[in-house]
Parts: sequence; structure tokens; C-alpha cells
Amino acid sequence: MLTRIGGGRVIDPANGRDSVGDVWMQDGKIVSAPQERRADATYNAAGKIVMAGAIDIHSHIAGANVNTARLLLPEYHSAAAMRPAETPLSQVGWTTHEIGCLYATMGFTTVVEPAMSPHYALHAHLELADIPIIDKATLAVLGNDDYLLGLLHAKESDAAIQDYVAWTLDMSRALGIKVVNAGGAAAFKENVRAFSFDDVVPSYGVSSRVIVKSLQRAVHALAIPHPLHVHCNNLGLAGNFETALTTIAAAEALPLHLAHLQFYSYGKEGERGFSSAAPALAEAVNAAKSVTIDVGQVMFGQTVTISSDVLRQFNARNQAKPRKWVILDGDANGFGIVPYNYRRNDFYNVVQWAAGLELFLLTRDSSRVFFTTDHPNGASFTTYPEIFALLMSHDLRAQWMAEMPPAALKVTTLPLIAREYSLTEIATMTRAAPAKLLGLMDRGHLGAGAIADVAIYEDDADRAKMFRSAALVFKDGELVVRDGLVTNLRSGRTLTVRPERDRAIDRRMRAYYEDRYGLSDEFLKVPEHALGRPEPFAVVPCRL
Amino acid sequence: MHQAWIAGKPAAFEAAVDEAAKLLDACRQPLIAGLGTDVAGARAAIALAKRTGAVIDHMHAGPLLRDLDVMRSSGVVLTTPGETRIRADTLLLVGPIEAWPEWLDRAAENESERERRIIWLCPGRQFATQTPQRMNIGAIGKDLKDLPALLASLRASVAGRPTARTAVSSKKFAETSNALKAAIFGVAVWSAAALDALSIEMICGLVNDLNNSTRFCGLPLTPADNAVGVLQTCGWIDGFPMRTSFGRGFAEHDPWLFDGGRLVADGEADCVLWISAYRAAAPAWRGSTPTIALTARGAPFSVPPNVHIEVGCPGVDHDAVEYLPAAGTLAAVAARRPAAAPSVAAAINRIASALPNHGDRPC
Repeated sequence: MLTRIGGGRVIDPANGRDSVGDVWMQDGKIVSAPQERRADATYNAAGKIVMAGAIDIHSHIAGANVNTARLLLPEYHSAAAMRPAETPLSQVGWTTHEIGCLYATMGFTTVVEPAMSPHYALHAHLELADIPIIDKATLAVLGNDDYLLGLLHAKESDAAIQDYVAWTLDMSRALGIKVVNAGGAAAFKENVRAFSFDDVVPSYGVSSRVIVKSLQRAVHALAIPHPLHVHCNNLGLAGNFETALTTIAAAEALPLHLAHLQFYSYGKEGERGFSSAAPALAEAVNAAKSVTIDVGQVMFGQTVTISSDVLRQFNARNQAKPRKWVILDGDANGFGIVPYNYRRNDFYNVVQWAAGLELFLLTRDSSRVFFTTDHPNGASFTTYPEIFALLMSHDLRAQWMAEMPPAALKVTTLPLIAREYSLTEIATMTRAAPAKLLGLMDRGHLGAGAIADVAIYEDDADRAKMFRSAALVFKDGELVVRDGLVTNLRSGRTLTVRPERDRAIDRRMRAYYEDRYGLSDEFLKVPEHALGRPEPFAVVPCRL
Repeated sequence: MHQAWIAGKPAAFEAAVDEAAKLLDACRQPLIAGLGTDVAGARAAIALAKRTGAVIDHMHAGPLLRDLDVMRSSGVVLTTPGETRIRADTLLLVGPIEAWPEWLDRAAENESERERRIIWLCPGRQFATQTPQRMNIGAIGKDLKDLPALLASLRASVAGRPTARTAVSSKKFAETSNALKAAIFGVAVWSAAALDALSIEMICGLVNDLNNSTRFCGLPLTPADNAVGVLQTCGWIDGFPMRTSFGRGFAEHDPWLFDGGRLVADGEADCVLWISAYRAAAPAWRGSTPTIALTARGAPFSVPPNVHIEVGCPGVDHDAVEYLPAAGTLAAVAARRPAAAPSVAAAINRIASALPNHGDRPC
């Protein structure tokens, strides 16, 4: 079927397009305007904004840790109270069904779960399979696992590490590799309570730096499109911008992605010894061309922090609101679930909010700064429309700041920043750039051959309203949202990479699991038939 | 050849499916209970519950929700069976751990580099009969009734507060308290089947306090019949554990209100879909509530269920996904002896497709 989306303002920065015109789709793909054929179906987009489907590179939407948060907080389920709309977290997208529907409603068509522990891979993929409409992907977490630390301790070759990384990606069906507080979770098991980039995991004698650099090299050598995704040490601590600067410097010439940098943009200035150091970080990012970042914006309200950084979460457990939490010393990373309430009149929370916006606004290249709230750690993904509006309007930011404690804003530069994001920059940050960062060349743009993931919005001066509920959304050419309501609960795919490896690693890993854990490595596998959906996976090619 | 019965008489599979659909369609408050099934069976059961407005419960929801209630009202530091095996130098076993007797054998497998000290609080009779000979275990206290005071005193002692005398000698008590504090990586192990929620909360509090100076974690032993796998599946589909109702068109969770045993006893459920695929178990309750049973062969019903369909055992008769206690996670398990008996998911999906369509509910 040939479909025409007619007469909208098409914003497609990957193809240098910002003009009124048509977008054509056939058999789930974008096609060039045909010469002599008429459309079988036409959607009128006159006066509307047409973009590719948006891509979220870092949102905790599935897996054992996310599910533990659900079970920890039954009172935040929208059905737990008689007034669902007024219940904290009621709009979080709590269930797999809601996650798919709420993302699609905002015009998002691909979302990456960034913290899948390889031992819990099947669990994560079962949840992803139950998330309707959108495509999904995962990053496998390495860097606190005994096998890798053992290789580094023994000073094994880069090839040995590459084989292990490739084996992990294949077994767990991931799209890339993430490292979370490299070495910190392993050191915490040995009763270490603070861990920086050059600290050493006692039993293994390897530093965080060595772990990060080895994984960065391995990911690059395997030609995995997405660079190593790094959750730095010292998350949330005053003065931790220096940790982030050290990590940025350590990237050197190879690509490195730093996740939720807002949580590392804290200085020690001011009376309370807590300030925004985001300008210094943004400057470093501007200069380091091999580095990409996502922000992890904070918004106000009740949320729950879900992190594989078990050391950080353990240290933060007494700040839990409400006062309950789960810490798991897992195989490798484990996780910590700590509910938290960001308050608009709290000095520290306002500094965090402002620092995130500073990072967005002071990072010059909108193709190297990515749009995240580290859902749900900084805020739920359902706050994205408000954040788009804040980025696009200096006046709106001023209105928000007028109601915040001036002492907090004084230790930031946010009131001085006039920049406003354009729709093209929003499209770059949420469409073109993430597709490139993840190696998903078939999406993030509206050129011929791209999959027909299209989001069409009313051109409303209220940008939050515009982005909250799309007028029309197509996934693989199928209409899935009309006037902000889901019309079609189709199943998406989960995207993976499968780099080459020396198969000797398979035998080594089988022996390792039998010896170390007394288990067959069969439990790690994610067979397609186990997921109960037809064709649950699609393989993304590695870099040429 | 798999089998089906209607009111105790052999019937064709299709006839049993139709009769089950008729019962579900005619009733006002269906209950889906037992729920001893794999992840696919749980998914199908939850979908059927949504469609029919049923309550879902699991035969081991009691102990499972006791552990969960402690978690969702306080803080817990936990670890995995794998980390326990490779790291623990101190194991604190609390109360009888009959839920997973083989675990004692695994506890003996010490892959850590240190000697392992095992302290067992109030083991009861299990201590004498089941402790592997090669294990060096010291028992502290005997009867379960001594456990609450002993746990509370240990927690107070570890926190440096004065304690009253307990059921054990003060020398033994002091030794135990010191051993816990001296642990390098300790793991407290319990089975909620044997403990009340307050004792579990006290264990978790003790573990949390020990982390002020050293590393200590909890390891709750989980019930059988894929209870954790079903719990996890309920969590991601509904956001709630079992004992959840879909009667009002959305998920509502209440551990007392939606306790399957209570619903049957009080006459609130008027049709039960009982599922037990791992073993031939029948409900603990008796009575005349119309029942559809999907079970392994030979479930001991005192009165034949209205409809009874024999289903295959997950991981034996058909491929399955289930919670693997030794790995502490969900795993795909290939059929050991593939057989033709339908899976729970297949049987439920057949029943669902035989239900008359009264118009779709909004999603």
C-alpha cells in the first residue's frame, strides 16, 4: 500500500530538510515521491510538524531491577488509589503495556534499556517482548564481573577481552556494552565504600580506568556501532565533576559515551558546598570530539531511582522517600532501588535541575548531547514534553525559576543562558543523532529506505502539549497513534548486534560457569521461542 | 495420550475446553488459583483474568508475600545464590529451610577463598536429620518459638545495645554476635514458609545494621511451583504481585481481599480455575465451588472437578521459562522428554478462544 503524508512541515535534519512537503511510505518503508502513482491512502498533515519517530538511548524500562521497583512500590501504581491522575508516579508507565503506549503517544518508536545484567538477560527480554508498539534494545552491563576482572588481573590479551565481550553480546542479545561504576560494585563486596577512577578493586588489583579503557578498546575493535556507554564513578557526590572530567580526558581519540552527565556535574562552591559545575563539563565535552553525553535531566516530583550502581545506591539508601529500598549484591553488578522525591523548593534538587538544563544549553553540538532523564532516575520519561518546552523557551525557564529558591539558582549559570532549542535541534537530538550513535541507519530520518517510523505533531505554541500527544504516529508504516490515542497494539522488535568471535570462548565460558557457579551456562541463553512472540529480534550490522 | 474429564467422566479435549469456557462465562467472580505454571502459562492466565474479570492468586502467595511485605515496608540488602557460593565466609541460617532442602548441599559448596562458618538459628528437627556430615555447623537455639527473642537480641547486641538473657547461654550468644560482626561477607538465609513477617523484618534489620561495619546480605529461599517466575510475570504485566483482581476492569492488589482461599471460604468466588502443572496438587480448600482444573496427572481432588484437563509439566513435557533457584533468575528450560500433553498456556488459550465475545474491553 502506498501512503502519502501530505503538506506537513517536514523536519528531517539527517537529510538537511526543513520544508513543507510530502512524505511517502510503502510496505513499512519511506519511499521517494513516486512519479505517476496516486496514493492508496493520504493523511493530511497541513499545518503540522512531521518528524521521524524519536529514539530514546537510555531509559530503564525492563528487567529484574525495574520489576523490583514495581514490586517495591505498589502504592504508586495508578490503580492503587481512587484518584489515579493525582497519585505520585501514576503516569510513570509502570507496566510493560503502559510503557509501550505512553512512548508511542509521544512519537517515540525506539527505546534502549541501558542496564541489562547478562545473568538476567532472559528476564529483560521477556519484559521487552511484552512492551507493545515500539522497537527496543538493551545494553549489557560488564565491568564488575569476575570473569572480566580476572582477565584484566591476569593481563590477558585484548583479543581475549574482545571474545568475551562478543560472547556476552550474543548470549544476552544486546545492542551494546555499558559499564556502571567500573569496579565499584566489585569493590563494595569487599567492603569498600568509596571508589574513584584510579582506585583499585582489592582482590583483582585493577583500577576503574583499566576496566573502562579495556572495554572501550574492545567495543571499538569489534566494530560495535555504539561506543562504550559509561556510568562514571562517584555519582551524585559534591565535587564529582572532576571524576567526569578525568573520564572525559581518558576517552582520548576513541569514542566514549558518558551517561546521565547531570549526575556528575556538581561542584563544591557556595555556602552549602554544593553547586553546578555543568559549564566546566560542557566546555570539556565541546572540546572532546570523541565524547558523546546524555543528560539525565531532573524534574520535580516523586520518582524511584533504579541503578546498577549498587555502591552509590547503598550510600543513598537513607535518603529514600518513602523510607524503603532494595540493595542487591548481584552476580557482577546487582542493583539498588531507592525511591526519591525531587522537590522544587529543595536547594540540592534545584541545583540538579538547573545543571541538567545548563548541560543541554551549553553543549554546542546537538548531535553529541542526548535527551534523557535516565528514566526514572531523574524523572519519568513522561516528563519529556515539559523538558522540550523548557529547552525551547527562555521565558518558560524564567517562569519556572521565579518560583525557585534564588540561593540555589545563584550557584548555577542557568539564569544567564538565553539559548533556545529550535525544532531542528530537537529533531537532531532525538532522531538523527541517536540513530547514528546506535548504528541504526534505517531510522532517525525520513529519507528513502528508512523504516516508516513517523511522528506528526500539531504545531502548537505550547510545545509541551504538542510533544505530549502526537496527532499521528506510524511504526513500520502502520498507524499506531491517532490524536494522542493508541489505535494499534502491534509488536515491535528488539535490536541486537552479533560481532564475530573465536568460538573457543564458548567452551571456556561453559567450563567457567560449571566451575565457578556450579551451573550450566544454559541459563544465560535467550532463545527466540522462549519469548512467545514471532520474530522478536532483528540484528543490526557492525561497522564496516 | 493426554486426557480430559467432565464431572469425573472421560471427555474429549474440545468438549472439556467448551465446558470450561461455559463455566467461566456463566460465573460472576472467577478465581484463577494454584498457578503452578511456567511464564507462558502465567501470561495466558493473566490475559484470561483481564478478559473475565478474575482474581489471580498463587498456591505459595502466603510465604512469597511475607517476604515481599517486608521489602515493601522497609529496606533490604540481598544477594544471589551465586555470590553466596563464591564469596560467603559466614552463613547465618535462620529457622527451618525446608522449602529448598537441596540448598543445604549447595551451601556446603564453598567456592570462596576463605573457610566458611555456618551458624544455624533454631533449626528445629531438620538439623539432626538433614545436615550433611561434612559441614561444620553450629546450632544456636532449637525451637522456632525461641527465634523472635533470639533474633531481636542478636540485632541489639550487634548494634551495641544491652540485651536480656535468651534461650541460649550467654557465652554462646556472645560468640554468635561476635561471629556475625567478624564476617567478611556474610549471608543470612531463611525460608518464609517457616517464618512470620516480623521475624523476616528482624533478619533484614540485623543484616542492614551489620553493613554499618562489614558486608552482610540476605538470601530468602523461594517456594516451588515457579512461584517467583509467576510473581515476576505478574509484576511486569500488571505492576502488582499475585492476589490481584481485574474485577473492576483494572488491576487491584490486596493480599487479604484477593486471597483465593478466603474468596472460596466466604463464597465470593463462584468458579475456580485451578492450575498445577509441576505436580499433581489439588487446592487446600474443600467445598462445592465449580472448578476447572489444569493439573499434572493424578491430582487428588476429593470431588471430581467440573472440568479436568491433564497438562504437561513445564521443562519436562514442553519447553518452558521458569525461575531457576540455583541461578536466582528466569531461565529457558528445554523439554527433557517432549510429550503431547498441552501446556497450561495452550489449554488456557483454547479456553479463551472458546469464550463468547461480549465485545472488547478498552485497553
